[in-house]
Amino acid sequence: MQARRGQSSYRDRTDEFFGIVETLRRSTAPDAANNVPYGGGGGGRREDPRSAVANQSEFKKRAAVIGLAINQTSQKLSKLAQLAKRSSVFDDPTREIQELTAVIKQEISSLNSALIDLQAVRNSHNDERTISRDTTTHSATVVDDLKNRLMDTTKEFKDVLTLRTENMKIHEIRRQRFTSNPSKESTNPFVRQRPLASKPAATQPAPLPWASSSSSSSSSSQLVPRRQGEAESSPLLQQSQQQQQQQMVPLQDTYMESRAEALHNVESTIHELSNIFTQLATMVSQQGEIAIRIDQNMEDTLANVEGAQSQLARYLNSISSNRWLMIKIFFVLIAFLMVFLFFVA
Amino acid sequence: MKITALLVLKAAPETSDPVILANASDVSHFGYFQRSSVKEFVVFVGRTVASRTPPSQRQSVQHEEYKVHAYNRNGLCAVGFMDDHYPVRSAFSLLNQVIDEYQKSFGEAWRSAKEDSAQPWPYLAEALTKFQDPAEADKLLKIQRELDETKIILHKTIDSVLARGEKLDSLVEKSSDLSMASQMFYKQAKKTNSCCTIL
Repeated sequence: MQARRGQSSYRDRTDEFFGIVETLRRSTAPDAANNVPYGGGGGGRREDPRSAVANQSEFKKRAAVIGLAINQTSQKLSKLAQLAKRSSVFDDPTREIQELTAVIKQEISSLNSALIDLQAVRNSHNDERTISRDTTTHSATVVDDLKNRLMDTTKEFKDVLTLRTENMKIHEIRRQRFTSNPSKESTNPFVRQRPLASKPAATQPAPLPWASSSSSSSSSSQLVPRRQGEAESSPLLQQSQQQQQQQMVPLQDTYMESRAEALHNVESTIHELSNIFTQLATMVSQQGEIAIRIDQNMEDTLANVEGAQSQLARYLNSISSNRWLMIKIFFVLIAFLMVFLFFVA
Repeated sequence: MKITALLVLKAAPETSDPVILANASDVSHFGYFQRSSVKEFVVFVGRTVASRTPPSQRQSVQHEEYKVHAYNRNGLCAVGFMDDHYPVRSAFSLLNQVIDEYQKSFGEAWRSAKEDSAQPWPYLAEALTKFQDPAEADKLLKIQRELDETKIILHKTIDSVLARGEKLDSLVEKSSDLSMASQMFYKQAKKTNSCCTIL
């Protein structure tokens, strides 16, 4: 057999190898000419080993492709691990890391599916025709090896991701510590010793641009702490004022914009309320019609029942009177008399 | 959401410090020994921010855990110390109101003030307590809140109206059944009454 993939044994089989290469060459050339579909299985014994070899080579090609892809993925993974370890507080390549992560995830999933396909192909080969025990064990070993490698790669990937999240957490803690450190220094003494110095340090880590501009202006004016002359202070302050002005206009706009936005919100809420009221009115009017129908039904019922009651009252009257009975008895008597007279007379 | 202090200052031109015209602060949540230092801190930071605010401009500065909002209108500057949750818009409308009120009550007398005035201004103190709730200061916020409540109530109303509709439907069915039954009853009664010739 050819040299096995995976654990290589150091048995010299080069002669065997050459022989089989010859057979392969002979078999694949007419294979290509005859265009035998692999896995077809029919024909004579010659086609069988040929198709078996073709199947085997197909299997080997796929396995080789998968192994190569696994190698590439693990390389990318090592790069990602390096990036994740390297990222410092201010310079972390979040976007690249995310892109790499997405790419690696995609590759792993595609490798997974390819491996499953490979296994299915091997199973179909096994079912279709008889092959030697060696080939089955060989293919099984190859598939298992590839699966193990893929599993290792996935595990490494998971480790890298956890490492990255831990790093991000550490960065967040460190960042908080850096930003709250100056405030800790200044909250303790409300002392007038270095108030100007503490204020810019406190406003520096503020995330807002205008705050930073005001801090820069305050630091620039800190350089003129009332010891120096006025002439020197004015150009600096003018520059700081300009800076401030540039940042001030956006702040005014934001204030106005926020008011405008609030007004828009109120207006849209009122619109929604009017919609709700209209719907409410529609529903109530529809239900009003239903109520009218109910009312009519009840009136009909009342009329019916009253009529029925009057009928029953008349019936009761007619039953309770005996007049008809007497008339009937009289007629019966007359009939008997007639019959009696007729027979006798 | 709370206001810690409100200040009204006269923002002098950049050469001198702003002069404090009125001051109201709520330091009840600090310990007893920190209160005076907090008051000094408030005064000082208020002065600094007011001096840095150009006229007819609004400014917000983040200082430690406080947001300091300042509004300078032609030399009269109002400064408020609020925490981070207080909405910015309400803060500025509050400062607007304070400045208007101050101008109404003191006119232009403040322009001549040269040193910090020591007398308290009662309006500022009661404003401080009243406006701890941002909805009071900002009419828009109050209106929005009321509108939301109304919307919730309306939703509940619509749900109950739907239930009423269902009940009305069942009632209509029952009443139509009843009317059918009574009609049959009447017919039967009429039938028993019509044919009189028994026997």
